[in-house]
Amino acid sequence: MANNSKAGKFAKTEGMWGYIMVAPTIIGLIVLNLYPFIDTLKLSFTKTKPFGFYEFNGLTNYITMFTNADFWRANLNTIYFCLLTVPLGIFLALVVAVMLNTKIKGRTAFRAIFFLPMVVAPAAVAMVWKWMFNTEYGIINTLLGNNVNWITNPNVVMVTCAIVAIWSAIGYDAVLLLSGLQNISKSYYEAASLDGATKIQQFFHITLPMVSPTLFVVMIMRLMSSLKVYDLIYMMVEESNPALTSAQSLMFLFYRESFVAGNKGYGSAVVIWTVLLIGIVTAFQFWGQKKWVNYEV
Amino acid sequence: MKNMKKLLAALLVVVLAFGLAACGKASDGKTHLTFQIWDVNQRDGMQAVCDAYTAKNPDVVIEVQVTSWSEYWTKLEAAAISNQMPDVFWMHTNEILKYADYGMIADLTDLYNDEDPDYYKNHFSEISLANIQGSDGRYYGIPKDKDTVCLVYNKEMFDAAGVSYPDETWTWDDLTAASQQIYDTTGKYGYMAYGDDQLGYWNFVYQNGGYILTEDKTKGGFDNPATREAMEFYINLQQENWCPDQNYFAETSPGTAFFSEQGSMFLEGNWNLLSEMQNYPEMQGKWDVAVLPMCPNPAEGDGKATISNGLCYATGAKGKNLEIVKDVLKFFGSEEGQRVQGESGAAIPAYIGLEDTWVKVFDQFDYKLDVQKCVDMFDYGVQSVNNASRSVWKPKVQDELLRIYSGKSTLEDGLNNIQTFIDTAEAE
Repeated sequence: MANNSKAGKFAKTEGMWGYIMVAPTIIGLIVLNLYPFIDTLKLSFTKTKPFGFYEFNGLTNYITMFTNADFWRANLNTIYFCLLTVPLGIFLALVVAVMLNTKIKGRTAFRAIFFLPMVVAPAAVAMVWKWMFNTEYGIINTLLGNNVNWITNPNVVMVTCAIVAIWSAIGYDAVLLLSGLQNISKSYYEAASLDGATKIQQFFHITLPMVSPTLFVVMIMRLMSSLKVYDLIYMMVEESNPALTSAQSLMFLFYRESFVAGNKGYGSAVVIWTVLLIGIVTAFQFWGQKKWVNYEV
Repeated sequence: MKNMKKLLAALLVVVLAFGLAACGKASDGKTHLTFQIWDVNQRDGMQAVCDAYTAKNPDVVIEVQVTSWSEYWTKLEAAAISNQMPDVFWMHTNEILKYADYGMIADLTDLYNDEDPDYYKNHFSEISLANIQGSDGRYYGIPKDKDTVCLVYNKEMFDAAGVSYPDETWTWDDLTAASQQIYDTTGKYGYMAYGDDQLGYWNFVYQNGGYILTEDKTKGGFDNPATREAMEFYINLQQENWCPDQNYFAETSPGTAFFSEQGSMFLEGNWNLLSEMQNYPEMQGKWDVAVLPMCPNPAEGDGKATISNGLCYATGAKGKNLEIVKDVLKFFGSEEGQRVQGESGAAIPAYIGLEDTWVKVFDQFDYKLDVQKCVDMFDYGVQSVNNASRSVWKPKVQDELLRIYSGKSTLEDGLNNIQTFIDTAEAE
C-alpha cells in the first residue's frame, strides 16, 4: 500500500514537471498566437476607432468586404501570384536539389551559394531587385536592350514580384529537398541501372516517389507563404505606383486598410478570410496527397 | 515539492528584479524626460533646444529619440493605449485632430496665461495656430515650425536653353513654356509634375481659387469648377513630352531625378533644402530656389498660393511629469527656444520675427541659395489640407488619382469619385 501511494505521488510530481517543461512553449503559443487570433476574430466584428476603442457592428465588415471590388481583385492577385511562384519555384528547387546531390566539384560551395538568398533580409533583396528592374537605369533593361516597365506595368508587375520570390525561396526549398534526396538508399539506383533504366527513368520512378513526402511538405509551406505574401510586394511597389491595384495581395490590402486607413476592423476581416482560404487550400492538399505522396520506403 | 517552491521563488525574484530595474528611478536624482521625433536631420537641432533648457534647469535630463516616420504613428498610438507616451513628442497636422479629440494629448491653451493671455495670438501666425487646434478650437500643441513649398530649378539647364530664371512674375504659362524650351534644347525634362498632394496639385488648386475642402472642412471641393480646372491642368502636364509620366515617378522620385540632373524643375518643401545642400555638394551653385509660379487667370484671388504646414510639440494628457514637461514646452515655445531651433537650421521657427535665423544658416555654404523666397511666400500661404477623416480618404484619393493617371478612370469620373470619397469618409 505504502509503496503504491509513493509511486502515485512520484507519478504526480513527474506529471507536474512535464507541464512545467512544456509551459514556456504553451504560454508562448497562447500569448503570441492563440490570444491574438481570438482578438483578431473579435475585431473583425467591430468598427475600430483610434486608441483601441471599438464597437460591435455585426457582419458589416464581412458584407462590405464581399461586395468590394478591391477585395476580389486582391484575391485574384494573390492566387495569380501563387500560380506563378509555387509550381515553377518547386520545380526549379527540385532540379537544383538533384544537381546538388550529384558528385560535382565544389558541391558544398554551390550549396552555400544557393542558400544565401535565404540569409539576406527580404527588404534588402527587394531593394536590390528593384534597382535592377528600374525602367530607365536598371541593369535588366540595359542588358535586354528594351524598355519594359517591370514594376509599373500592371500586366507585368506580378511576374516581376514572382521572379524575385522564386529567386529568394529556391535555395531554402532545395536544401529541404536535398535532405529528402539523401535519405534515398543507393541500392535502388544500383538495382535500376543493372536493369538498364536510364537516368530520366530513375528520376521519375525512384527519385520522385521517394522524395514525395518532402516535396509535399515544401509545397504546403511554399503555398502558405505565397498566400501570405506581403513584405516583398510592399517593398517593390510603392504607394505612388500606378500598378498598385494589380499587385495588391490580400496581406497588402490588410496592411493598407489597418495601418494606412486606420480601419482595423475591416483589416481583421480580411485576415480571417485569408486564414480560411489557407485552411481550405491546405485541406485540399492533404486530401490530394493520398493520390501522389508515397510513404512506403 | 520543496524544490518546486524553491524554483518558483527563484523565478519570482528574477522577474521582480527585472521589473524593478525597468521602472526604477534614475539614481542621479534628476528627472529624466524622453523626446520623440521622426526626422533624423533635425536631431542635432532638437538636442540644441533641449541643451538650452537643461543648462538653466540642471535637474532635468532630456533624451532625444528618433523613430522613422513610417513607424512613428504606429508606435505612438500603441504608447497612447498603454499610457506610456514619451514626455514630449512632435505632432503633425495629419494626426493632431485624432489625438486631441480622443483626449490623448494635453490641452495647452492656458500654458502662457501667467505671462500673457494672448501669447499665442501675438507670436504665432493664424496658420500655425490652426495647426495646433483640436476640433474644439483649443490648443493642443506648441507651434514648432512652419514651412512653404517652393520651386527648385536647375540654373545650368536654364542657361543652356536661354530661358530666364523663374521669378515673382512667373505664371503657369511661363512654367510650361520654359519646360518646353529646356526639353527641346537640352533633352532634359522640364517641370516634373508628379502625383503628390502637398508638393503638387494642392498648390495649383489653391492658386486657381479652388479648394480641396470646404471652409467648414466637412465636404470636398472637387465639384468646384476652379478645383477641377486646376486638376485638369496639373494631371495633363504628364502628357507633355517634357514631363515624365507617373510610371517614371514610381521608380524615380522628382528629387532624385533633379539631383542626378535629369530634370530642370520640381516642387520642394523648404524643410528639405538644407539636407539637399549637404547631400549633393557637387550640385551646389547649379540650382536655386524660386517662389511658386502663379495662376495667370484664377477663378478667384490673385493667383498666388503655397501650401504651408507646421509641426508642433505636444505631450500626453496623463503624463507622470506633466508639470515639469509643461515648463519644458513653455521654453520650447519661447522666443529663446525658437531662436535656438532656427539657428540650428532644423526648420523655420513658428515664432513670428525669427524667420531670419533659419535663412542665415545657409550662409555656411559658398553658394548663397535664395531661401528668403521660402519666407516671402508666407504672405500667401494656405494651411495644409486636413480634417478628422483625412486618414480614411487619403489612400482612396491617392488610388483614384493613379487610376486617372494610368487612364483607367477618365478625369471627369475620377474627380467625381474623389469628391464622393471625401464627402462620405467618416471620421475614425
